Amino acid sequence: MAGIKPGSGPCAMSECFCGDGKDVRGMEKECDRPYHCPYGGILFRKVSIIGLVLFSSFLLAAIFSSFLSPCDPWDRFEPYLPPGQDHILGTNDLGQDILSELIYGSRVSLIVGFGAALMATTIGSSIGLLAGYFKGMADEILMGITDIFLMIPQIPLIIVLAAFLRPSFWLIALLMGSLWWTSTARVVRSKALQIREMGYVQSKRSLGFSHLHIIVSDVLPNLSQLVMPKFLLSIASAMIAESSISFLGLGDPSMKSWGMMINFAFSRGGFINGYWWWYMAPGLCITIFVLSIVLIGSFLEERDESIMGQQ
Amino acid sequence: MLSGKKATRYAIALFLIISLNFFIPRSMPGDPLTNLLGEDISLTASSVQELRERMGLDRPLSQQFLDYWHDILRFDLGYSFHLHRNVSDLIYDRMKWTLLLSLPAMVMGAILGTLLGARAGWKSSALRRTQTGFIMAIYCAPPYFISLIALYLLSYKQGLFPLKGFYSTGSALDIAHHLFLPSAMMTLFSLSRNYMIMKGSVLQEKGSLYATFARAKGLYDEQILFRHVFKNALLPIITLLALDFGFILSGALFIEIVFSMNGMGSLIYDALLSRDYPVLQGSFLIITIMVVSANLLADLLYSYLDPRVRWQ
Repeated sequence: MAGIKPGSGPCAMSECFCGDGKDVRGMEKECDRPYHCPYGGILFRKVSIIGLVLFSSFLLAAIFSSFLSPCDPWDRFEPYLPPGQDHILGTNDLGQDILSELIYGSRVSLIVGFGAALMATTIGSSIGLLAGYFKGMADEILMGITDIFLMIPQIPLIIVLAAFLRPSFWLIALLMGSLWWTSTARVVRSKALQIREMGYVQSKRSLGFSHLHIIVSDVLPNLSQLVMPKFLLSIASAMIAESSISFLGLGDPSMKSWGMMINFAFSRGGFINGYWWWYMAPGLCITIFVLSIVLIGSFLEERDESIMGQQ
Repeated sequence: MLSGKKATRYAIALFLIISLNFFIPRSMPGDPLTNLLGEDISLTASSVQELRERMGLDRPLSQQFLDYWHDILRFDLGYSFHLHRNVSDLIYDRMKWTLLLSLPAMVMGAILGTLLGARAGWKSSALRRTQTGFIMAIYCAPPYFISLIALYLLSYKQGLFPLKGFYSTGSALDIAHHLFLPSAMMTLFSLSRNYMIMKGSVLQEKGSLYATFARAKGLYDEQILFRHVFKNALLPIITLLALDFGFILSGALFIEIVFSMNGMGSLIYDALLSRDYPVLQGSFLIITIMVVSANLLADLLYSYLDPRVRWQ
């Protein structure tokens, strides 16, 4: 196993890429860690349960927006109301209820996050799998492409493309999904490189099973443990990116989104006039949502690593 | 030194990115002339024709591509009709400020992040767990949001720092006063990323045999960390820092927007509002070239620092 293990801890968000040790260090090294309990065991498990609870409540809010929100997020009441009885979190410049906006905004975050992460994980896993399993020329070419994609600054590219194309959140999810797969590809590749040398794969190969069969029945199931936390962490980074792009005013104007709420609060004087509730609530929502995903993701990673350690 | 394979990858990356910049405005919906000049510019029919000729849009695509490369090699990134200046001059002016804001912060963030992260990964204590929780929250928050809160609390409520801009009188002290808060935010942002990476890296190294051996030899805890483990754990960080450079730089753009500073971030933000495409594209190109160079630099540094690579 590589020196820095695939996605070690919470650092495995897309950009930081805790990739395979081979590329980072120029050599491979055996995993030599018999015991491991980095986050103080039980405490860490508790924290990740909190993460799960938070995550599911956001999920429920997104699914049942229309039931949960006190009013229609597009309805207008008195503007600039501070948090109070009628409107628990206050109203914005158009008099729209902030709580309802928040609840509806969770949809965009989730759709973009899940969409982009699903696409990125699929592309990344396929490329990593092919490169790692077939090695040789395929590996050279695919990893070369990955290296090039890794260097493109994603946010500026998305900004340029979104400026030309009229923004919609599907487009943003699509763009992110097609740029965000690199770290998954590298992690999956290094795992696939290991798996292909395992006894059960070698014996199947010598028995004459096809590559496709071996990949589907032996390699893929072993990758799922690795890919799942990667998938979660891609959701987190896609959500931050979505909110950043909406903050620039490139969001989908037909949908409520947290980033856009902050953008309006910032550009329409909510900030200068001290209407803190207008931008604090969406900002905290993004942070807590992302935090919950990162907690669950890093818990899964740690768990898998301790399972691997015991073997 | 840089292997031939890696050098080819860098060359291909640069070629593809610069070419991408050529094809984006020409392949997007709408008139390429508008896409190249930016929107909201009123032109008469005759000037449209003249501009079309001057931009070479009436020539075949292959010829345009060659002309484009010719321009790029002379650092000609086009002309902004909104700001009435050459894009390369604009970027040169603004980039200085962005680098002044972000480079010191990146260095500070790297140093503090690796040191704190290494200690947090090495030994867990109640204080360090709280610290990790705090840094993790920053790590998960969008950088512009944290900046907004800091700006509101420290500048707006307390009046400790100026509300906007890079300078008001222009003296060094004045600039430092303006830069302090955004730089601190940048540092926090970059610190949180390095902290998480370094913590994971030290956790990996901690269980390795040489660390156990050092302990058996009777070295003190912190000595093992900083004499042995730190060096090994730091190596991957160099590459990660370079890969992160683009991301941190993007973060700087957002922080500039929040603090209304006239750097690249505000340039891009204003260009977005007025759909000033040449500025957007030029900025993207320059940022990308900077990121690619940072990676190249890290690769060179890495092959120099890691004896295992050096002696191959």
